Amino acid sequence: MAEVIDSMLDLMRRLPPTRTEENVGSLVGICPEEADELLQSVDQPLQVMVDRATGREYLACDYNRDGESYRSPWSNEYDPPLDDGAVPSSRMRKLEIQANEAFDTYREMYYEGGVSSVYLWDPEDASGGNFAGVVVLKKTMTPASALEPSGSWDSIHVFETVERGRQAHYKLTSTVMLHLITRKGSESDSKVPADKKGTENWKRDGEVSLSGSMTRQTEQDWPLNDASSHISNIGKMIEEMEIKMRNLLQEVYFGKTRDIVYDLRSVDDLEKARRQKELQKELVGFIKR
Amino acid sequence: MDATDRIRAASQFLLQSPPGEINDVLNDIRNIISDDELLQEGIQPALREYNIEQFTVVDVPDTNHQSIISEAARVGPSHSESEERFLDPRSKTSFIFDHLSLEASDPQPIESVEEHEPFRAALEAASLSYLKAHFTDGVASVFSPKEGTNLFVLQLVANKYNPTNFWSGRWRSEYTIDLTTKQVSGRILINVHYYEQGNVQLATTHTVSFELPPGAVSTPPSTTSSKILALIEDEEGKYQVSLNETYQDMGEKTFKGLRRALPLTRQKLDWDKVMGYKLGAELSGSKSVLPSP
Repeated sequence: MAEVIDSMLDLMRRLPPTRTEENVGSLVGICPEEADELLQSVDQPLQVMVDRATGREYLACDYNRDGESYRSPWSNEYDPPLDDGAVPSSRMRKLEIQANEAFDTYREMYYEGGVSSVYLWDPEDASGGNFAGVVVLKKTMTPASALEPSGSWDSIHVFETVERGRQAHYKLTSTVMLHLITRKGSESDSKVPADKKGTENWKRDGEVSLSGSMTRQTEQDWPLNDASSHISNIGKMIEEMEIKMRNLLQEVYFGKTRDIVYDLRSVDDLEKARRQKELQKELVGFIKR
Repeated sequence: MDATDRIRAASQFLLQSPPGEINDVLNDIRNIISDDELLQEGIQPALREYNIEQFTVVDVPDTNHQSIISEAARVGPSHSESEERFLDPRSKTSFIFDHLSLEASDPQPIESVEEHEPFRAALEAASLSYLKAHFTDGVASVFSPKEGTNLFVLQLVANKYNPTNFWSGRWRSEYTIDLTTKQVSGRILINVHYYEQGNVQLATTHTVSFELPPGAVSTPPSTTSSKILALIEDEEGKYQVSLNETYQDMGEKTFKGLRRALPLTRQKLDWDKVMGYKLGAELSGSKSVLPSP
């Protein structure tokens, strides 16, 4: 029998991505002892919070959580406030501030909106320059009217680094969650002229929802000049990864799922095509004779 | 969580199963709940609901065809029987359906309602040729009106399961046809699951209602049925093509609007400069960190 956590992860890979939070909640209810591992392994939509000190938005996820509170990357404060909340060492915090500024620029350049946050944590073994962190980005598009398409993009990039002299080795695990929804109503139909008798009696309604997540990993070595080299190294890796994943998402969302629909049903008449093929065969045979 | 809550959660998971993956979901649940005795009894209602909702197909005993498990196919249980039965109108048999093994048993002949049968049979014939023209693995069932109603029900389902390539898909359509009011109303539901190193799902709903053209119902059953199926063929074809437009819309508007392929500069970021901007901004005390556009 597989480990319970493996079955939970397999289940989460099958159930609708639109209901991830609800389903993770149920699993935690069934097996509270697996909660920590499950919450660490299943990526959930990022929550936008507002820093009480600076008024700036930041993202809440499992990586800046301590109990029920979340730490803001801007003020380093927990909300709701915690007296003994875990914070990075001053060396790590300095790098974290720099990283948040850099990825704020990255966010503006690629997302032209949205929210970004970077959280770093100190290594368990404090001897080397090894550390880990997460870069999260989120953008939501809310429709102006009910029939406008809406959507959201959540990126979660978790990285670990090991310094090796003047080089650093990075391991990056990236997940992008993408939800797209379009609603169609009868009113869009009224624009179509009633060219056929009875057409004005047709009523249509519907919704198309494309949602999900994809995860990819990469490991790379980059040169190291000083501590801030880590930020540009990780920045380049994440930028490259997001470009790759955006292409991949485009291919799967708009290519693969569409192809499967066309595998289920053919717009063209298959019977006609079959008959035509037979006719062609006959003709070829006739010519050969 | 007590037993009732655990069964409720397990049932919710089952009802969310993607096409062709209910056994995988069930296996996961068995390992997570780890109480087969509790599950065995408890999940029966959910399995039944799933099969009815999803138009599960079943091999009809003593025939070479499949029929659809659905609310329209449900008969009884009558007073003389204790078990629920399902109907295959094509072979005019009813059977007991096992919601876990998905097998039919105890086939019994049933008598069709004489008044409705000619039209039902004609609609079935037209549906089967429509199915052949547009679906590779489709099943269709056409039901006569249930007692006390005027509604013929046409259902079709097409499934494609490809676990080796990590995808599956299901197309369901249902139309109710009222010959008295000449009203047809239908719905098309598509579900696609793509799960290679990820979990991406397409879920669509489309409802449509229309009135049959005048004179359409006064013709012989076969003519009326062909006309109805021609309208359905047209609608489903148009819907499929319109999905392409929706895809394009989502790609052009939403997807691009969420994240650009490249920055406005059409170049990747110069990360050394990105760090520099910040430094410069800090030195000059300016709040803006971006070069002016």
